Amino acid sequence: MLEIRALDVDIDGSRILSRVDIDVTQGEFVCLIGRNGAGKSTTFRTIMGQRKPVGGCVAFKGQELAGLSTFQIARLGIGFSPEESEVFADLTVAENIEMPTWVAGNRSTRSAAERIGMAYQMFPKLEGYRSRGGGQLSGGERKMLSIARALVLDPELLLLDEPFEGLSPVVIPQISEGLAAIRKGGRAILIAESQFHHVPDFTDRLYVIERGEIVFQGTVAQAERDAATMQILRGTDGA
Amino acid sequence: MPAPSTTEAARRNRNLCAIGGGVLLVAVLALLPGVASPYTLTMILPVFAYAIALLGLNLLFGTSGLLSFGHALFLAIGAYAAAVMTGHWGVKSLELVLLGGIAAAVVVAIPVGFLSVRYTRIFFGMLTLSFGMLFHSFLIKFYNVTGGDTGMSVKRVRLLGLDLSHLSRVEFQTGPLYYYALVLVIAATLLMWRIVQSPFGLHLRAQRDNARKAEYLGVRVHAFRLAAFVLSAAYGAVAGVLLAVRSGNADPELAYWTHSGELVFMTVLGGFASFVGPLVGAFAFIFLRDWLMGMTEFWRLAMGGILVLVVIFVPRGLAGLAADATTRLRNQFDLRSRR
Repeated sequence: MLEIRALDVDIDGSRILSRVDIDVTQGEFVCLIGRNGAGKSTTFRTIMGQRKPVGGCVAFKGQELAGLSTFQIARLGIGFSPEESEVFADLTVAENIEMPTWVAGNRSTRSAAERIGMAYQMFPKLEGYRSRGGGQLSGGERKMLSIARALVLDPELLLLDEPFEGLSPVVIPQISEGLAAIRKGGRAILIAESQFHHVPDFTDRLYVIERGEIVFQGTVAQAERDAATMQILRGTDGA
Repeated sequence: MPAPSTTEAARRNRNLCAIGGGVLLVAVLALLPGVASPYTLTMILPVFAYAIALLGLNLLFGTSGLLSFGHALFLAIGAYAAAVMTGHWGVKSLELVLLGGIAAAVVVAIPVGFLSVRYTRIFFGMLTLSFGMLFHSFLIKFYNVTGGDTGMSVKRVRLLGLDLSHLSRVEFQTGPLYYYALVLVIAATLLMWRIVQSPFGLHLRAQRDNARKAEYLGVRVHAFRLAAFVLSAAYGAVAGVLLAVRSGNADPELAYWTHSGELVFMTVLGGFASFVGPLVGAFAFIFLRDWLMGMTEFWRLAMGGILVLVVIFVPRGLAGLAADATTRLRNQFDLRSRR
């Protein structure tokens, strides 16, 4: 579904991503793991058309994404929840969630109400906060809202940049359960993660990124058997 | 009581208050010609015109986060459209003149907006300022077409097909034109309220917060901004037509950058974060300026000082001040009724 081939990305003249290959197939839960600055966010921004690659290509469902603008890529069916402050503080929770249903040209066959209902179903906690302002939410609630909102686009692929970052250990399982439910619904999910112990146990495959290069790909069990990879992954936990 | 229903009730309460206040204000304005002096009434006409212009400007500034320093351009286009239509083309009906002014503003706003909305903050402000100045120089230099710095005269118009040429200038302004403009303000306000509350308005607010994030959700940020720009230009043109019909003249100073600055001043004075702020600002500005001009020849200095004080001490403007006061009153009332 998502195919990234030999992707090279430069920022201000220095190579940030180098020959990155990533595949995500339908219904798969894939985790891109690496230290801060390894190139995870750059990978996501390049998929969303914000960075122009100097080499390689990104394709979604067989369609080359080069030359498309961000909003067009979103409408193709890629929901992106970025790492930074995720909600529109000025809008209420309900407005934040409804927003993607007003976008013309979405290819979803589901009705707006259906898509909104689905989002609340994944994160029931948000239901009680409908009329609350986006700025009044805690960090965990914001992450939920951001993921829920991306979900309302009815995407076939969800990109989540560090969905567990900075959250209390109590909240992490709530988000994790939400992700598991989304995956069960048949959507593909690619998450970026900087800490190995956050990687959910239902993860299908793991890509380890180090200094802009993919240094390992395989299942979590395979990674645990690979000494060199584990050294990098342990490094992420220590950081 | 659970939290959501209390906020729901509060919102309903607030809406009722707003509707009540609006009806009261309209009633006062409608009865004013019976009691106020003709001088006051002729002062209120520009208030109506500016109220409409500022509703448009604030769709850009307050709602979309784009501060235009060249918005007077569109008032000037409205005014000159009125001059050309009534003077050269012999159009008599104000309704047609309004439509013509809007059409002219839209035609200009599409290319200007197309270039400007790619930028935000100071870059947007500077671009709009430049386009405003460009038009001002055109008005001054091409005096064969535009009358140069004397401008062009605007002929008396018919309102709803009624020939009112038998009325004196003051009678025309304080009677039929006054009510005509009042109805226009009401219609423009209701329409803008709908626009701001609609999904379209929501998208504008979202892209103001973070344009990139809005794009992640499939929003065509530039297209939405352009639509807001064109709408605000249309509002500006309606204001320009009204100003020109009132004064009987389309003046190049309407396009000068200080006039754009005054529009921003009014918005800040009234409070750009509030929907009614611009309406309050237009009213306060016109009467404040008139009062200061009567008091001292240094009125510009005094206006500048007031702007400084407003920005420092009441950044949310007069509307923000009023909102705080009503909240305090309501809280006191709630406390007392609970006892």
